[in-house]
Amino acid sequence: MGRLARWRGAALTFSAALIAALTLIAVIMLSLDKAPLAAAQRFIEGAIGTPSARADVVMAALPMLLCAAGLLLTFTAGLWNIGVEGQVTMGAIFATIIARTIPRDVSDWGIFAALIVPAELLLAMLGGALWAGVAALLKIRGGINEIFGGVALNFISVNILLSLVNGPWRVGTFPQTAPFAPAALLPRQPELRLSPLGIGIALAAFGAVFMALRSTRFGLQLRAIGRNARSAGILGVRVERNIFWAMVICGALAGLAGAFQALFTRGRLLPNISGGVGFMGVLIVLLTGVRAAWVLPVTLFFAVVPIGSLKLATSLDSAVQIDATLGNVFQGALVLAVLIGSGVRAGLAARRERRSEHG
Amino acid sequence: MHVELRHITKTFGSVRANDALSLEFAEGRIYALLGENGAGKSTLMKILSGYQPPDSGTILIDGQVVTFQTPADALRCGIGMLHQDPLDVPNLTVLDNFMLGRREGLLPKRNAAREALAQQAGRLGFQLDPFRYVDSLTIGERQQLEIVRLLSLGARLLILDEPTTGISAEQKHALFSALKRLAAQEGMTIILVSHKLEDVAALCDEVYVLRGGKLVGHCQMPTPIEALVTLMFGQSLPRPTRSAHALGEEILRAEAVSLTARRLTVRDLSLSVRSGEVIGLAGLDGSGQSDFLRACAGLQALNSGRILLAGMPIHGKRYPELLRLGVAYAPSGRLEEGLVDGLTLTEHFALTAGNGMWINWRGAATLAAEQIARYNIRGAPHSPVQTLSGGNQQRALIALLPKNLRLLLLEDPTRGLDVESTAWVWQQLLARRDQGAAILFTSPDLDEIVTYSDRVLVFCEGKATLVTDLDDPSRNPVERLGELIGGKGFGGKDSWVAWRGGAAPR
Repeated sequence: MGRLARWRGAALTFSAALIAALTLIAVIMLSLDKAPLAAAQRFIEGAIGTPSARADVVMAALPMLLCAAGLLLTFTAGLWNIGVEGQVTMGAIFATIIARTIPRDVSDWGIFAALIVPAELLLAMLGGALWAGVAALLKIRGGINEIFGGVALNFISVNILLSLVNGPWRVGTFPQTAPFAPAALLPRQPELRLSPLGIGIALAAFGAVFMALRSTRFGLQLRAIGRNARSAGILGVRVERNIFWAMVICGALAGLAGAFQALFTRGRLLPNISGGVGFMGVLIVLLTGVRAAWVLPVTLFFAVVPIGSLKLATSLDSAVQIDATLGNVFQGALVLAVLIGSGVRAGLAARRERRSEHG
Repeated sequence: MHVELRHITKTFGSVRANDALSLEFAEGRIYALLGENGAGKSTLMKILSGYQPPDSGTILIDGQVVTFQTPADALRCGIGMLHQDPLDVPNLTVLDNFMLGRREGLLPKRNAAREALAQQAGRLGFQLDPFRYVDSLTIGERQQLEIVRLLSLGARLLILDEPTTGISAEQKHALFSALKRLAAQEGMTIILVSHKLEDVAALCDEVYVLRGGKLVGHCQMPTPIEALVTLMFGQSLPRPTRSAHALGEEILRAEAVSLTARRLTVRDLSLSVRSGEVIGLAGLDGSGQSDFLRACAGLQALNSGRILLAGMPIHGKRYPELLRLGVAYAPSGRLEEGLVDGLTLTEHFALTAGNGMWINWRGAATLAAEQIARYNIRGAPHSPVQTLSGGNQQRALIALLPKNLRLLLLEDPTRGLDVESTAWVWQQLLARRDQGAAILFTSPDLDEIVTYSDRVLVFCEGKATLVTDLDDPSRNPVERLGELIGGKGFGGKDSWVAWRGGAAPR
């Protein structure tokens, strides 16, 4: 099959899946006596109609992009790094270790003030990498599937987070830290909620992963491991070492995403700090079929949905006002529909091949 | 029940596994189906028991033509097969397994089934606790359960595939006396698929011998073992004499190695291999020869003893490290462990050649094109390896081997290859030998082992015996290896039966 035919097939699958997911949402809205078409218009306006909405979309996309970039490495190596949520959480916690100690006034810190954010980000990467490293060692040395290890570590990380924001780090009546000082936050443009530094870091990380997969030995080795780890080992690939590093790099990027959530999106540490960006990254990578080139547009698309749904949820017009979680339903339905569509397409291709073999 | 097979033919790719086979099985008799690995025994029995259809030929039961779509069809006609690995459900109880496959109403009648189980088992002299879980049973007990189950489902012809592998001496005794009773008193037909001549001599009335998919002999027992061995392995051509060559330094040394194979433990294996030497590893499937190869490649742990590579113990080293020291391992399952399904030839060469962080794709494509021309691989640099034929996959695997090798470990290097590809593969391997590499290889084909080996290590029943005098003109070397593999070679029957009885059941 030619490249063009493959592209056309993928585009067809995606459009069909999109229609299926939109239909589902429309049915749900109709059953609740809402107006789907008006809501759709409102949704699109709300998500990309104004510069500030577009800035929100970009910033919402960044942590997802970081997670998706890391997950591209692990999925390529055939590793289901479900522990990515925990790695995001640990990143946020590790960034907070520094962030909560920064005073409001750092004018007399001089050059050291410029080192606050880099130190926070590095520590966050360390936290995520540490958590991923544990999952990797459990797999390599303990023979524990990375999915089970990841689920357990997610659970532990959430409880560490809860015990911190309920205990020693709690400020005020709610289980959360105090808002971080401006010097501890990711620098942002005042008029639009945009952080050029954040955008730069996320794009650089994604670009590095893209290049690694495309033209480095590491990337090729990960692909070989993902396809057939035994054969890769016989061909001389150090399977365990590569698995370890794929997990650790993914964890570092997830930790960075956690730092974004704490130091930009929320501005403090609170329960559910990850906001599900890790799982969102898993969905994105699944949706693209682990193809790096597709990750950027799909991530932007995924970032539009929560921003648009939020606008619907806060709308005063009762004909379109609907809970923001419907956006999650849409995303989940879309991924399922694409996976089903890909499965159907593979089945059809196999049948066509069999038929051409016989006749 | 009288069963007749007429002109059964079955082809897999270019291999004719069964070539117009015609056999007859009469009521109340015990038959042996003999042949070495790949002779076509299992294929024929799978056809008879409904696991696969023949390409052509017919099966007649009491003169009526029958066709089977599934094993259940065959069982309904009275043909039941006991597999080498019992096909039971391990995490169910004995009773549950016994009830599986019974055609009953929605609610199974457990008490009736329990009585039937006890009655059937008692009749055969088997002792089966209905409430034990199957995964806590030994292989022998699982066989007993399977036999009882097949009989209760109405089997009148019982096929047993290598039933004595992995069971104790007492269990074998119980099995054989039960089979004899079934044949003599109830008119059952028994077919024993085996390459163990001992078992055939102890149990069977008639023997069919297959070789290379053809029926080469039909004898009434007792027949001298030597005659059966000759039928099984054929009269091979005289061994080609190898031109004088200088052996180099010692490359590989195994000292008192003990390792665990699928069903048995190989003990006290010692071997010294020098550069430029070819050692064939012979033995029945799963006797430890493949495991020894993997151990030499650092892919399998030893129970005790040690393996040295040019004087240095390989303990704790993994295969990628050994590969850099000049040890290469090529497994028989090319796409399972050797080539990576989904990667192209260029990507394979990029993976194995060079060490830098960045991949030079243009260079890799050039290298792939060169190697494709040099090794005569039918494929393009951008061909995914799974699209190549078996022979071309083997060529690719050999083309991927590093340049300066000291030790080559090959598992059945010519599996599934035609004569031409086989000759080509060996030409390449012997060229490596002449450059100073030592070669260890396994093969189910004794002719291949005799033809290319300087010495042969025979694996049988947990022992490894080195055969050095293959050139002895008074004996046919293939026949001699055949006897050793069949367990006739050392210390007589008693010694290995004693070892067997002492082995812990699984």
